[in-house]
Amino acid sequence: MTGCAAAARVLGSRFLILLLVSLLAACGQNEPPWGLRNISGLMPSLDFTLTEARDGATVHGKDFRGKVVLLYFGYTHCPDVCPTTLSLLSHAVKALGTSADQVRILFVSVDPARDTLAQLKTYAAAFGPEVVGLRGSADELEAFTKRYRVSYGYGKPDSRGAYEVSHSSAVYVFDRKGEIRLLIGSTDSAPIITGDLQRLLAETPGAST
Amino acid sequence: MRRVLYFIVMLGMVMTAHAGQPLVSVDDARMRWLPGDLPMAGYFVITSHAPGTLRLLGAASPAFGDVMVHRSLEESGVTHMAHVDGVDLNPGQSVAFAPGGYHLMLMGRTQELHAGEEVPVTLRFNDDQTLVVNFRVTGAQDE
Repeated sequence: MTGCAAAARVLGSRFLILLLVSLLAACGQNEPPWGLRNISGLMPSLDFTLTEARDGATVHGKDFRGKVVLLYFGYTHCPDVCPTTLSLLSHAVKALGTSADQVRILFVSVDPARDTLAQLKTYAAAFGPEVVGLRGSADELEAFTKRYRVSYGYGKPDSRGAYEVSHSSAVYVFDRKGEIRLLIGSTDSAPIITGDLQRLLAETPGAST
Repeated sequence: MRRVLYFIVMLGMVMTAHAGQPLVSVDDARMRWLPGDLPMAGYFVITSHAPGTLRLLGAASPAFGDVMVHRSLEESGVTHMAHVDGVDLNPGQSVAFAPGGYHLMLMGRTQELHAGEEVPVTLRFNDDQTLVVNFRVTGAQDE
């Protein structure tokens, strides 16, 4: 920006000033790339009605305004990918230090038939205080997953009634205003996630917290 | 003729009894604790030192009612788990059972488990070969 301002002092003609205005605009847009995939504007803002496993209270997307939100869909009978993802997110958030409290990891069950509130509560708690277990009725879950184009499906139950659940592996990141910003994929590391969360937290310092 | 058949049956029994342990090494065997009776995942790195192809067929543990070999797969952004009938190991080959890929699915706990404990798991291979490996129970956030 200093270089752009110095150029403004040197150049005089109206045409060159016009040119400079467009150059300044380009300077402003030249923000460093995000470590994660930038999906700003590609999905609706955070909005849902679900039940929080911790206390059985009804919660809405707007209740999380002011926090940076990581949204992940999974189920508790998932021994491999779901705990690995939650552990990764939890480590990335803990690395924020005192700012960790400004982030929430929402774990939404896509298997409400087996995931009781009590079970979701102990499962979420195993990964840290910033993990919020959420459960919805079939209608609530369908509305929420449709909004974010999240797919899930159930396999055939075995002789003991156990079944697999396939589900989206993506984690969506919303800023403090509830707007969609970033997508965490299965290959993203904790330091990359922490770095981008720091940038999101710095965007609106102290706003509505 | 009956004597020959009897001999073949006896020979089969002797060979089975001598099957014993496969020539493999298993490193970093651990299982991630999860609350209640939720299924847990077991991870390890297995290296074959056998002269021919070895096939891991399954596993069992006194701490679990059922153990299966599973593999997590991601296709078009969707994750799912699949049961695996067996994992082939060529001579000298190492295969990592690791988060997001091959893992043991440990179901139906027969006892309470805590992080830091060790749990024996019997790995079962072709030709009735078995190997008992102690798995370390790790915390939920340790992987």
